Amino acid sequence: MPAAKKKTVKPKANQVGLSEETMMGLYTNLLKTRLLDERFRKLYRQGRFAGTYFSAVGQEATTVGPTYGLRDEDLIAPSHREIGANVTKGVPLDKIAGQIYARVSSPDKGKSHPCHYGWKPKGVITPSSTLAGQTIIGTGCAMGFQIQKKDNVVLAFFGEGSTSRGGWHEALNYAGIYNLPIVYICQNNLWAESVPATLQAGITDFSDRAKAYGFPGITINGNDVFTVHKTAVKAIDRARKGKGPTLIECKTYRWYGHSEIDPADYRSNKELEEWKSKDPVQFAEKTLMSLNLLTKIKREALVEQINQEIDEAISAVDKDEYAEPEEIYNDVYSEQFPVRRVEW
Amino acid sequence: MKKITYIEAITQALDEEMDRDEKVFLIGEDIGIYGGVFKATKGLLDKYGAERVIDSPISEVYIAGGSVGAAMVGLRPVAEIQFADFITPSMDQIIQQMAKLRYRTGGQWTCPMTMRVCCGADIAGGLYHSQINEQWFFSQPGLIVVMPATPYDAKGLLKSAIRGDDPVIYFEHKRLYRWIKDEIPEDDFTVPIGKAAMRKEGSDVTLVSYGLMYHRSMEAAVGLEKEGISAEVIDMRTILPWDREMIFESVKKTSKVVLVQESSKTGGVMAEISASITEEVFDYLDAPVARVCGLDVPAVPFAPPMEHYFLPNAEKIAKAVKNIIEY
Ligand SMILES: Cc1ncc(C[n+]2csc(CCOP(=O)(O)OP(=O)(O)O)c2C)c(N)n1
Repeated sequence: MPAAKKKTVKPKANQVGLSEETMMGLYTNLLKTRLLDERFRKLYRQGRFAGTYFSAVGQEATTVGPTYGLRDEDLIAPSHREIGANVTKGVPLDKIAGQIYARVSSPDKGKSHPCHYGWKPKGVITPSSTLAGQTIIGTGCAMGFQIQKKDNVVLAFFGEGSTSRGGWHEALNYAGIYNLPIVYICQNNLWAESVPATLQAGITDFSDRAKAYGFPGITINGNDVFTVHKTAVKAIDRARKGKGPTLIECKTYRWYGHSEIDPADYRSNKELEEWKSKDPVQFAEKTLMSLNLLTKIKREALVEQINQEIDEAISAVDKDEYAEPEEIYNDVYSEQFPVRRVEW
Repeated sequence: MKKITYIEAITQALDEEMDRDEKVFLIGEDIGIYGGVFKATKGLLDKYGAERVIDSPISEVYIAGGSVGAAMVGLRPVAEIQFADFITPSMDQIIQQMAKLRYRTGGQWTCPMTMRVCCGADIAGGLYHSQINEQWFFSQPGLIVVMPATPYDAKGLLKSAIRGDDPVIYFEHKRLYRWIKDEIPEDDFTVPIGKAAMRKEGSDVTLVSYGLMYHRSMEAAVGLEKEGISAEVIDMRTILPWDREMIFESVKKTSKVVLVQESSKTGGVMAEISASITEEVFDYLDAPVARVCGLDVPAVPFAPPMEHYFLPNAEKIAKAVKNIIEY
């Protein structure tokens, strides 16, 4: 985090082991992610954008925690539930909203899918829908950094379900051989669409998989943003120093359906309520309040400020047009190979 | 000018491009210490080191997908797939990442990479070392697909592939590796992607092919010449995007065309070219478009009589020509 070097009070380390600035930064991003995510759900149900929406409510700490403090040149290799990584990496909210609305201002000009946010200036790779896809190419990005002797790192995010794929294994196997500068973050939300984690693998802790690749694997409480951040910072530091990857499994839970069209009737209410009581946003608030870093009033002010930011971003894209259909011909190849056009 | 083989041309192109641009690196199975199973990368590990000539684990998914990632952050990867037969695990990465990266990111990220794929039959390779599956990639916009037939083109096209900003599947035919030699200029040169080569002018019929089949077509054309049939021979060189202009112009001139392809007939490249000819230059045709292709069986069988039965050759091509000449 490019902390402004002012002569004012130096943030003190507290019991959590993080500075006030970092803790508040983490919390602000967590809150922003939650509010934006809930807003998108609402807009989807109002029919304001097409397709579907993949909410990450309940598991925001797994993406906010590792991303906070990264450099612009560090890359995020996301899957479909990384709105928190986008927010925290600093992708402008109107770019995120643009992607959701698939308008001409969207970074992909409306070609991919609402939840496939990506924005190169902030180092977020626009994902494909193929699960583990960005884990594989993200590992290639880390290989590219290593070959070019750049000290950038890659954070690759995926659900526990994605770890069953062969390509995921090939990528981590390769990263282990070459000690690539990458950190793998598994968001184990216990369900892959309708399939429980117990039917995904014969292990309980998905971090065990790291043993096979010769680098550390660690399982943590994915709903404690401070722990997630501290664990990730160590792993990122290790990766940046050329000491190789880490696989961090964050145990967490998604509150809503796989996407907005999924009633999620395959899981029990009891399980859901249990996990809702471990809400990552509330957990962070309680911690901050107990340290006198946050008050209800300060929280309300923050909510108001964030909501205003969201309003502005949404109203900007809401007024925006879709790209002309002829946009379909762009970005197939470089300019050397124009696509043949059809007269309809 | 020195005469070199097709595989020497490939090695030279790799060497010269690596020397010219430090962003070029190689990754593939057995390409380093061993110099490649056909020795295409011989000597390059010693010259450029293990960071730029990477002996990868047996991971076709990663070879493809990892190269995409490296290309995204500024490198120019040249990945090797040891045999086209084993490209299937890479398909996910080729189709979903290589071909679609630029498109799905709205041009934010690009994929300037080359994938060398060793392919082709007529070397007693058997069912799993003879395949040639260019048609799978031909139907995926976003990819460039080339298949050189001569050492000159092998070198020039590989250089263009490495220097270009698009993902290229570069099919190299293993039957051609040491069979033919060409005189190659000492100076740096490239062969443009998307342009076919007019190898022989003729007036009675057009033969269109690429790779090993170009040589079979030329053999047929030489034989037909003696029988008074003048065949024009086009070597496509680039399969996607193919040179419509040259093929259409030739068909307009000769009014008869035979399309030759080594891989199975159904759903192949020549099916598309045939359809396009009837769509665009139908009025010029004096006979149905003819195709001479590999047979519609799962792959090229091993036993020599079956392998030869599978493949088009000069005799089969000449027969197809005579059929439509008499039409
Ligand atoms: C290769 C592939 N197979 C199947 C799908 C369909 N699909 C999309 S998300 C999903 C479940 C993913 O589970 P997980 O990786 O645990 O992530 P989560 O959705 O729980 O965040 C499936 C099966 C897909 N997108 N890609």
